Amino acid sequence: MKCQEAQSSLSLYLYGELDFATEENLETHLAECAACQLSLAREKQWHTFTNGQVQEPPFDLLAECRQQLRPAIARENVPPAANVRSWWRWGNPFEISATRWSSQIALASLLVALGFASARLLDHGSWRPFTVNQMGLLNPANAFVRDVQADDKGVVRIVLEQESAITGQIDDPNVRSLLLSASRQSDVGVRFYSLQILNRQAGDLRNDDPRNDDLRQVFFDSVRNDPNPAVRLEAVEGLRRFSADPSALEVLKFVLEHDDDPGVRSQAINVLAPPDHDAKITPAMTQTIADVLRSSPGDEYVRARCSQVLEEAKLPVVY
Amino acid sequence: MDLVRAAQRGDPGAFDELVRAHDHQVLRMAYNLLRSEEDARDIYQEAFLRVYRNLPKFRFDCSFSTWLYRIVANLCLDHLRKRKVRQEEPSTFAAESGQVDRLQFVPEERADVDPQRRFQSAEVHSRIQEVLAELTPRERVVFEMRHYQGMRLRAIGQALAVTEEAAKNCLFRATQKMRAALGDFK
Repeated sequence: MKCQEAQSSLSLYLYGELDFATEENLETHLAECAACQLSLAREKQWHTFTNGQVQEPPFDLLAECRQQLRPAIARENVPPAANVRSWWRWGNPFEISATRWSSQIALASLLVALGFASARLLDHGSWRPFTVNQMGLLNPANAFVRDVQADDKGVVRIVLEQESAITGQIDDPNVRSLLLSASRQSDVGVRFYSLQILNRQAGDLRNDDPRNDDLRQVFFDSVRNDPNPAVRLEAVEGLRRFSADPSALEVLKFVLEHDDDPGVRSQAINVLAPPDHDAKITPAMTQTIADVLRSSPGDEYVRARCSQVLEEAKLPVVY
Repeated sequence: MDLVRAAQRGDPGAFDELVRAHDHQVLRMAYNLLRSEEDARDIYQEAFLRVYRNLPKFRFDCSFSTWLYRIVANLCLDHLRKRKVRQEEPSTFAAESGQVDRLQFVPEERADVDPQRRFQSAEVHSRIQEVLAELTPRERVVFEMRHYQGMRLRAIGQALAVTEEAAKNCLFRATQKMRAALGDFK
């Protein structure tokens, strides 16, 4: 071993992180080289200096953290469905009307969105766009996305695991691929905001644009499988542009029959049968609504809205 | 592992025990990396909330502590990156006598009997803080994990989702910077 190699290995030697053979060679070299012995002594010295820098947290900080964690965990234990339902009953205890339901749904959705937005704003502080714009050898399908953000000019910033960020227009194919990948990652905020940005982009696509296919698949997957109701809500909204599509009708039906969150179910019926009087409801949609009504979801708003649509279509209302 | 499984089944006592088994280390790491009670408190809370939310999905692909450190390390990395961007919490502040290193006011217990030693100790302390602040967020986290938390490079690599070799390179860069800044102190 030569001096240069020996000296560059000294820190790892002190940490005990050299492999056996390198450590043996280094010790042999040290035994014969006064200069490297001196370097080792200096290395030990700065290690010793820095060892003294470790600070124990103030003694009451741990207790304080534990105390604050308990109520935060307790809040996590309240099922989202219960939250939404309680707001619902509070706002509409006796009478039912489509208009008031809509406002309550809007309120529930707004609460979900506000919760998300405030948490994200607190988390991220002010955002300054980076200028990094390199995809290199990155494979979007395997990239681990840590954060996504978009401004109102369609510029998206995607933060990746390896201390890098991709910034580009929302319709850039690389940006889009990363967003599609991010919509399936573990961080709920990343999934939610990816879908939101994709939803925004979807509004600019023509119906025959081939990019609709993977968008639709992402929305389908999230609606069916995402554990978080806010993400599912966003994905259901994404299905609005596909609501004439038989496979989208199947997915919306699945939501109405199986989703355990009333906010998500309400969003699904509003996508399937928009309260707007000018909305076009196709025979296939009407049939899906009749099927949903027959399978009797335990949700008054959904049942009432289904009945309303069938009555307007002059079809028998069968529970 | 039994504790983790019990917590996954929804046993609140098991989750509480898991927290208590690891939270001192989590807080210590966050506090040393961020040098702020408030930030360390935020990291503590967010880390354990993420553990709580994602525990049902934990599949034992790695040890629980590796998974926990991954969460903590990523939170700290994000925080350090934001600091780099915002340039917040400079190590010095303006005083009537000019720029003063706020870390001078951290007591140095072992040096307080000897004025010369105390001066030198404050100087070393200041130099160390400067060079620590100059490390990249990832170098800072790797250095903290290896030097102060005593974690092995393999575990650090797992926690940061990089190879052991990448963690080793990162530590190497950090120690080179430390050596360059501190190697000539006597």
